[in-house]
Amino acid sequence: MTRYGKPLKFFVSPPDNVPVDELTREFLIESQEGLDRMERCLTELEERPEDRDLLAEIFRAVHTIKGTTGFLGFSRLESLAHAGENLLGLLRDGKLLANEEIISGLLALLDILRETLGAIEGTGQEGQGDDAAMIARLHHLQNPSDPSESAAANDVPGIQSDPVDQHAKAKRTRKAKVKSAAIETVKDASVAASKEESLAIETYQAEPQIAQTRSAVNAAESTLRVDVDLLNRMMNLVGELVLTRNQILQMVSTDASLAMLSRRLDMVTADLREAVMKARMQPVSHVFSKFPRMVRDLAQQLNKQVRLVMEGQETELDKSLLEAIKDPLTHSVRNAIDHGIEQPHVREAAGKDPEGTLRLRAYQEGSYVIIEVSDDGGGMKVERIRDKALERKLITRERAAQLSDRELMQLIFLPGFSTAEAITNVSGRGVGMDVVRTNVEKIGGKVEVDSRPGKGTTLRLRIPLTLAIVPALIVYSCGQSFALPQGALSELVHLSAEQVQAQVEWLEGAALYRLRGRLLPLVFLGSLLKQPEAGDQPREAYIAVLNAEGRRYGIVVDGLADPEEIVVKPLSSVLKQIGLFSGATVLGNGEMALILDPGAIATRSNIGMALEDDEPEAVDAALADGATEYLLMQNDSEHTAVPLESVLRIERIPRSQIERLNGTPVLRFEGTLLPLKDATRAEGAMTDEEMTVVVCRDGERHVGVAVSQVLDVAGGKPLAEAGTNTATRDVTLLKDRVTSVVNLGLIPLLPGARSSELGSGQPMETWEADAVVEVIG
Amino acid sequence: MTTLSMQISTTDEVLEMCSVRVGQTLYGVPIMRILEILGAPATRPVPLAPGFIGGLVHYRGEVLTTVSLRRLLDMPARDATQDILVFEGADGYFGLLVDEVGEVMTVLPADFEGNPSTLDDRRKALFAGTYKLKDALLVMLDPERLDPVHLAETALA
Repeated sequence: MTRYGKPLKFFVSPPDNVPVDELTREFLIESQEGLDRMERCLTELEERPEDRDLLAEIFRAVHTIKGTTGFLGFSRLESLAHAGENLLGLLRDGKLLANEEIISGLLALLDILRETLGAIEGTGQEGQGDDAAMIARLHHLQNPSDPSESAAANDVPGIQSDPVDQHAKAKRTRKAKVKSAAIETVKDASVAASKEESLAIETYQAEPQIAQTRSAVNAAESTLRVDVDLLNRMMNLVGELVLTRNQILQMVSTDASLAMLSRRLDMVTADLREAVMKARMQPVSHVFSKFPRMVRDLAQQLNKQVRLVMEGQETELDKSLLEAIKDPLTHSVRNAIDHGIEQPHVREAAGKDPEGTLRLRAYQEGSYVIIEVSDDGGGMKVERIRDKALERKLITRERAAQLSDRELMQLIFLPGFSTAEAITNVSGRGVGMDVVRTNVEKIGGKVEVDSRPGKGTTLRLRIPLTLAIVPALIVYSCGQSFALPQGALSELVHLSAEQVQAQVEWLEGAALYRLRGRLLPLVFLGSLLKQPEAGDQPREAYIAVLNAEGRRYGIVVDGLADPEEIVVKPLSSVLKQIGLFSGATVLGNGEMALILDPGAIATRSNIGMALEDDEPEAVDAALADGATEYLLMQNDSEHTAVPLESVLRIERIPRSQIERLNGTPVLRFEGTLLPLKDATRAEGAMTDEEMTVVVCRDGERHVGVAVSQVLDVAGGKPLAEAGTNTATRDVTLLKDRVTSVVNLGLIPLLPGARSSELGSGQPMETWEADAVVEVIG
Repeated sequence: MTTLSMQISTTDEVLEMCSVRVGQTLYGVPIMRILEILGAPATRPVPLAPGFIGGLVHYRGEVLTTVSLRRLLDMPARDATQDILVFEGADGYFGLLVDEVGEVMTVLPADFEGNPSTLDDRRKALFAGTYKLKDALLVMLDPERLDPVHLAETALA
């Protein structure tokens, strides 16, 4: 794999320690970029062997190397490049058609060129190497029909088969030896064009990429190479500016002109931060571009047929994160080809296309970039995973029996897990998936796996957009604030002083809490950090439920503050040795806070691998039957529910904020008006009483449902009426109770709102229409 | 350490010392070694840190680890704010928490004497010797002996 890592080294390492002069360094960088382009184009060329643009691009890369090496006196490189150039010249002029043999030869040339460039970078010398074999191979490729070089290329009659057919065959028999070197001149441009069209959908977006490289050449004058260290420093300084801005914003409130200035400072800082972050962004194609070659090599090595489809290559990610996901992604792709995609004959027997598809997809979702690696291979059978885990003694038989299918699936992330029957060169040593998970979690990301036997496996990497600034929840323990990264946080539970006494249970010194019926191990932050206790009297507490590298536990703190975007500052080595803090930060109020490391805290507290998902098992089981999830709410003594997917957020507001418009309760909210279903029916209730408003999405509009409190999330199935067996509307079975579902469409429209845009427009119906039908004990 | 001993052994010139006070004692630090003096910044304690750590301070965009001279010398904590001297250590910058930073003094190498043998071992390890002033003693501090990395290694905590 080092081969793929090499080229980037040029940009990452500061070039000061390289024993080469400025001119040579420039040459090295340029050549590496050229070779990277060449590699990309070569793999594309396999799909479209007579694409002249691709050939011209490859030719240019080799030609540049040849030209400059002669000047710099690197004779080995010069003769290699010269031999390559001759072959490429024939290809470019249409006297030869690129076939697999030629492409393999050119890829081999590429490797030797890279190796030599690497040697020059390290030692300043080309190094000793025998290139005769390589040059002879390239020579031979120029005259494929006759090794004795007797037949000149243009003498060979065009062995013209239908190009599309020919191409399809070449693809199908990619592994097989190419029988005859087809030599054709591209004379029918329209055939080529239509062929290109037919292929356009299948390859990883080749066109935009070429366009990009071409415009990059033209845009050379308007771009600049910047040292990554400088960018890192800029990012730090901007982070610093953000902190100072936060502090200023909190301080100015009296002086009007200062307040205005600080608002401008606020805006400029935000723009600057965005600009600097943008400067650090790179499209994921920088990592993706290594895969066509890798997939090609792996597929050949394993006698498999794999088609690589890449989507969303323009998605951008912070450079340091891009570096960090390179290894996990490589592991994932290897795994997908080795374990996922089956042998062609197996696929054919299963009624699938003998050529497997490996799909790499990147897209942004909120402040995360999702990268999916999916294959249409054999998928994973949970039974097999369980058996392997038992065989390798990763779990006990008793434990395995308790696990749900989804939980069993997560076993593949355990260290030492592998289902491969034999250890191959490619994978199967039991390192891989745990490395993927560790690396991704190290940068605050998450890994999910989704697999269906016979259909394929999808691995989803969730990567935060940037590393330097992370969202964190600020928690208090014994008067000191700490930052808890939100990536690991799954939910918060508030306990009153009495609840702390009654609901925290102790088992031989270990504190436990029953969270929806399952025991959650608790860690008291104050006692973990040996902070001086403020006294023995019971206090209220919050449990932050964390999921750290698959270990689920609750950390008990005294209080919570607002979430903040924090700038991570490294700790000195002496403080790093404490092992529980991943850094420190300065909060908006100027206070310093240590950043808690959820994984390290779990390890210190002996929290074991929980092997469970965020959602409790009951919900999973219900969901498996095609049920939907509902948010269960309480109104006085009644239970109601809304579909979870329509819930936007939950607010606690005083009752007095509700206003009435033509008899309809409404809520003013951030300058907009929110129609409300006030199901609490407590007309005479105290106006200063707090209530919960669940803000939901109904079509395009937002509506609120006011309730006394929110209970839980549960899965429910539609009920059928006895006798008629027709599905009842707006009623579901939740937690063994018949529960009414709020029909959001029945919440009255606001005057002037266009009813045509909304889901169901029956504005004046009464609330009783969707009231509880029946409540069984 | 090398810089300091060189200064002591090779020159007859006057040396500039920044005087700091902790408790009743006057200490001196070679002025060339001080990067910056921070007046009364807010420090945050670090739970589970070694005893000599005085807490964290926000310093020029970085988080500065500080060493408390009071804690090193087993003195009770001070209620009032403390000043910080910033030094460059083996692992980046670090701060030294002192009660008060005083004036800059000039001392003569001739007035230097090593640690008295009656001093306890801990102080012997921390102090670099003494300058005899006209009416007081100026105890020399060597930033390298106070570097948190060095302190952690020698387990002086």
